Amino acid sequence: MTENKLTIDGLVSGYGALDILQGVVLALKRGEILALMGRNGMGKTTLLKTLMGLIRTRGGTIALDGRPVAGKPPSWLLANGVGYAPQELPLFQDLSIRDNLRLALRHDRDLPRALEHVSCSFPFLLDRLDQKTGTLSGGEQKMLILSRAMMCEPDLLLIDEISEGVQPSVVQRIAAALRAEQERRGVSILLVEQNLAFALDVADRWAVMKLGRIVDGGACEAASRQTVLNHLSI
Amino acid sequence: MTDQAQSTPAPQQLLTRHGTGLIALGVLGLVLVLLGPLFLDRFTLNVLTRSMIYAMMAITVDLLWGYAGILTFGQSAFFGAGAYATALILTHVGGGAQNFALALVLSLVLPMGLAALVGWLSFYHKSTPLYASVISLVVPIVLTQAIFAGGSFTGSSSGLVGYPTMKLGAANYFRLAGVALILFAALSWVIVRSDAGRLLVAIRDNPLRAAYLGIRTQRVQILLMTALGGVAGIAGFLYANAGRIVAPEIAGFGFGTQMIVWTALGGRGTILGPAMGAIGIDYLGAQLSGAMPYLWQLIIGILFVVMILFMPRGLAGFIPRRRGGAPVPQLGALPDHMQQRDSAPLLSVSGMRKSYGDFVVLDGIDLEVRPGELVSVVGPNGAGKTTFLRCLSDGTETIEGRVLLSGQDIAGRPPEAVVALGVGRKFQVASVFETMTVAECLRLARVTQERPSLWRRAARITLPRAVLDILSLTGLDGKLSEPVSGLSHGMRQSLELAMVVAMQPRLILLDEPTAGLTKAERTLIGEVLIRLTRDLGYAAVLIEHDLDFVRQISKRIVVLHQGRLVMDGPVDAVVNSDLVRSIYSGVAHD
Amino acid sequence: MALLLDIATTAALLFIVAAGLFVIFGVLKIINFAHAAWLTIGAYTTVLATGMGLDPWLSLPLALLVGGLLGALTEVAIVRPLYRRPLDAILATWGLGVVIVQLITLGFGRDMQMPPALMGGTVNMLGTPYSSYRLFLLAAAVVLGVVFVLVLERTRLGLNAQAVIMNETLARALGMNTGRVRMITFMLGSAIAAVAGVLLTPLSSVDPSMGISWLIGAFMLVMVSGTSVAALALACLCFGAAQVLVSTWVSPILGSVTVAVLCAVMLRLHPKGFARD
Repeated sequence: MTENKLTIDGLVSGYGALDILQGVVLALKRGEILALMGRNGMGKTTLLKTLMGLIRTRGGTIALDGRPVAGKPPSWLLANGVGYAPQELPLFQDLSIRDNLRLALRHDRDLPRALEHVSCSFPFLLDRLDQKTGTLSGGEQKMLILSRAMMCEPDLLLIDEISEGVQPSVVQRIAAALRAEQERRGVSILLVEQNLAFALDVADRWAVMKLGRIVDGGACEAASRQTVLNHLSI
Repeated sequence: MTDQAQSTPAPQQLLTRHGTGLIALGVLGLVLVLLGPLFLDRFTLNVLTRSMIYAMMAITVDLLWGYAGILTFGQSAFFGAGAYATALILTHVGGGAQNFALALVLSLVLPMGLAALVGWLSFYHKSTPLYASVISLVVPIVLTQAIFAGGSFTGSSSGLVGYPTMKLGAANYFRLAGVALILFAALSWVIVRSDAGRLLVAIRDNPLRAAYLGIRTQRVQILLMTALGGVAGIAGFLYANAGRIVAPEIAGFGFGTQMIVWTALGGRGTILGPAMGAIGIDYLGAQLSGAMPYLWQLIIGILFVVMILFMPRGLAGFIPRRRGGAPVPQLGALPDHMQQRDSAPLLSVSGMRKSYGDFVVLDGIDLEVRPGELVSVVGPNGAGKTTFLRCLSDGTETIEGRVLLSGQDIAGRPPEAVVALGVGRKFQVASVFETMTVAECLRLARVTQERPSLWRRAARITLPRAVLDILSLTGLDGKLSEPVSGLSHGMRQSLELAMVVAMQPRLILLDEPTAGLTKAERTLIGEVLIRLTRDLGYAAVLIEHDLDFVRQISKRIVVLHQGRLVMDGPVDAVVNSDLVRSIYSGVAHD
Repeated sequence: MALLLDIATTAALLFIVAAGLFVIFGVLKIINFAHAAWLTIGAYTTVLATGMGLDPWLSLPLALLVGGLLGALTEVAIVRPLYRRPLDAILATWGLGVVIVQLITLGFGRDMQMPPALMGGTVNMLGTPYSSYRLFLLAAAVVLGVVFVLVLERTRLGLNAQAVIMNETLARALGMNTGRVRMITFMLGSAIAAVAGVLLTPLSSVDPSMGISWLIGAFMLVMVSGTSVAALALACLCFGAAQVLVSTWVSPILGSVTVAVLCAVMLRLHPKGFARD
C-alpha cells in the first residue's frame, strides 16, 4: 500500500469539445486535508466530478490506495469509501431531510447507524428529520450536504465549496466537524474552496488550480495567505 | 482581402458539380414522367401517380422535420383539407372550369389558413418542440372527427366519391403529378441551399442564439408551416382529382405518421431521400400488399424502428455526404458606424429586483450606462451576474423595477424585440451554430440587416470593419469555410463576439468573454473591446472574473455581491477597496 | 344522477388508460407511443385467456406479466439508446406499436373479438340503474390512484423514482443505479397499460387498432398533468366531464376529441397545465 490515499496523474477531462482539465497532477496523503483553490471556471468542480465518475476521464490516471479507479461509476466509489458533497443542486429541495439522507444509502436498514454518525457533528438535523429540505436556511443546507457525505464513514471526502454563502459562525461549525472527522477517523479530505480564510484554517496543505492545471501548492502556514491571494489576482 | 470587387455571380453557384448532377437528374426525371405513360400499364400509372403526390407530402414533412426541426404528425390535415375542399366544391357545386379554378384556389387558401392557425398555436415565446408535435397530433384528429360529424355533406366515414373531376386521363394525371413533384423538389432543393434555408437550420440548431441575433424565429416557423400547408393543400387537390375519391383517413393522424415513416426511411434532411422513400414504399406496398397485406406493414414497421435507432439519416445515409462544395464567400467591409455620443444614458436600470419564489437573486439594482462606456461587473460566484444580463436582454423575465433602453421600457419584449432596440448579447459558453461554417454564422448575424435570399447563397458578406478586425486578428478569416464544430474554444468565443458585433448593436452585453482563453486571446479580445467602446462609441456591459483584465480595459467597475450592487466607481478605487478584497478572500460572507 | 355517474366513471376510465403512460413520462421524460400497443396486447391477453377457457379475471395478472416482460425488453432494446433523442424515442416507440399491431393482426386477424365480459348486470344507485362494471372501474381507478401515491411516498422504489424525476444528476452522484430505476419504471408503466387494456375489453371494441383511439387522449392528459398524480386525477375529472357533457348535449363524435382539444388549448394558455410548479 502506498502512503497516498488519492493519486491523480495527468488527468484530462471536459465537456463537448472542451478539455477543462488539462493534465492535473495531485496527490492526497492518508489523513490529510488538502485545500484546492482557484478562480471560477478553472476546473475545480470538474475535477471533483471526474473523480466521482460523473464525467468520463479522457486521459491520465486516478488511483485510490494505489488501485486504478478511473472509469468506475459513482455507486462503486461510494461503496468503496468515497464521500462526496457536491456544489450544484446538491439537495432534493422538495423532499424531507430524512429522505435526502435515505437516498444516499443503499438500504434503508443502514439509516439508524448513519443517523448516529450525523448526530456527532450536526445533531440539530435529527430533530428536524421530517422537515422539507427547501425550508432550511442556506447554512443548514450546507451542513446537511456535509452530513450526508460523512454519514457512511468514508475514508476520502470530496467537498465542493461547502462554505459558499454561509455565515461565519456556521463556517466555524463546519471547520470543527471536518477537523473532528480527521482526528477521530483519519479521513482524507480534498476541499475545493473559494473562502481563503476557512480553507487555510482547516487544511494541512493548499494547491491552486489555473486553466485546468495545478500551478502551485504548499503547506498551510502564515505566509500562505499572501501567496494564494496573489494567485487569485487581487 | 476585404475590399475586392464583386465577383462570382449568383447563377454560377447553382452550378457546382453536385448541382449539375442534380439538374441532370431532374431533367431525366422530367423525361421519365413525360414518357412513362407510353410503356407503363394503367395500374402502375395510377399507383405511381398517387406515390408521386405522396412524395410531395414527404418533402413537406422533411422540410419541417429534417430542416426546421419541427416533428409534425399533422401534414395530413392540410392534405385532407385541400382534398376535401376540392371534393366538396365538385360534389355540391358541380364541375366546370370555373369550379375547378375555385376548388384549386380553396385547396390552397383553406389549408394555408389552417396551417397559419396551427403555426400560431404551436410557436410562441418559450414554446417547446414537443408542444408543436403535440398540436400536430391533435389537428388531424379534430379534422377527421369533423369530417365524420359532417354527415352526408362530407360523406362521413365513407367519404366522397363520384364527383366530377378534371378529364385528363390517367396518363396526363401521371404527367401532372410527376411535373408537380419535380418542380416542388427542385424548388425545395434550391431553397434549402439558399441563405434562407440556412436560416431554418440555424433556428433548429440553436433557437436561443437565433432569437438573440434578432431573428423572429416563431414568425419564420409559422411562415414555413403556412407555405407548406399550401403545398399540402395543392397535393390534396391533385389527389382528389386523380383518385376521384376522398375518405376521412387521408386527413388522419395515421396518414400523417406514414409520411414520417417515408421521410425517416428515405433520409431526413435530404430532398431526394424522402421523395424516393415515399414512392418506393407506396409503390412496393401497392404491389405486395395484395399478396401479404400485414406482413408488408410489419416489415416497414421493423425497418422504421431499426432506422430510427441505428441510422437516423435513413437510406440517404448510405450516400456519402459531400462537404465544402460551396465556394468560400468573400468578405466586404461596411464603413465604421460611429455611434451617437449624446450624454443621455443608453441603458437605465432602476430598482431591479428578481426573485425565484423566496429566493432573491437581485435586489435594488440601479445602473446607467452611456454610449462609449465599458462597464465591468464583478463579483463572486452566485452574486447574480448572469441573471442580471439575462434580465437586461429578455423583457419577458418577470422582474420588479424598470429597464430602459434608449428610453424605451423592455418589459414584455422577447429577446428578438430587445435586440431590435440595439442590444447584442454574448453568452458565457460560446453560443454559435455547430453544424454551420464560420461564414454561414457570420451571414446569419447580418440577417436582420440584409434579408436573406430564398434562391442563393450570398457570394459576398459585408461586415462592419470592427468585425473584420476580429476575424483577421484571430485568424478566423482563414477558416471561413470550416465547420464551427472543429473550432477551438477560443475561436468559438471570438466567432460569437464577431457575430454579436456584426449585428451593430448599440449596447453589447458580454458574459465572461475570456473564460478559458489563453493570455494572447484575452489581450486580443481586450483590444477589440477598447476599440469598440472608446473609438466607435459602442456601450458595453462586461461580466468578468479576471480583475487584471478588467483593470486593463475598463474605466468603471460595479461590484455585485449577494444580489446587491455594492460598489460603482472607477477601476482603481474599486479594485483596491477593502470591500472587494474581503469579498474575494471570503471574509465578507456576512 | 346518471350523468354524474357517467362523468365519474369516464374520468376513472381515462385515469386507468393514462396511468401507464403517465408513469413512464413522469420518470423517464419519454413519451411512449407503444402505449397503444400495450393496451391492445392487454385486451388480446383476455381474448387468448378466455379462449383457452380460463376465467376472464385471470387475464389481469396475465396481462401484468406480459406487459411487464415486453416493457423490460422494449426499454433495453429500443428506449435506452434514445434517452438523449426524445423526439426520436416517440417515433421508435410508435414504430414498435405498428409492428405489434401487425403481429396481432397476423395472429388473430383483423376482425373484432368478443371476449366474455368481466362482470355484467346493473346496480341500483339512488334509484338509477347503473352498469356495475363501470362502477367497478371507478373503484379500480381510486385503488390505482391510492396505490400510486403510497408507492411513491412510502416505498424505497417510489423515493428513488422521485429522486430521478427531481434531479437525476444528483441521484446518480449519490450512487443510485438510475438505469435500473428507469427499467423498472418502464416495466411498471407497460404492465399497467396492459392491465388497462384488459379492463377496456367490456367497453371498447377489441380489434388490432383499438389502442390508437385511446392513445391521443391519454397522451394529452399526461401532458397537462406533468408529474403529479393529483394533477392527473384532476385533469381526468375536468376533461372527462367535458367529454361527457359534449357527447350528451352536442355530438358524441365531437365528444371524442374534447379531451385532446381542451388539453391543447390549456397547454397553449398555461404551459404548465395542472402541475403546480
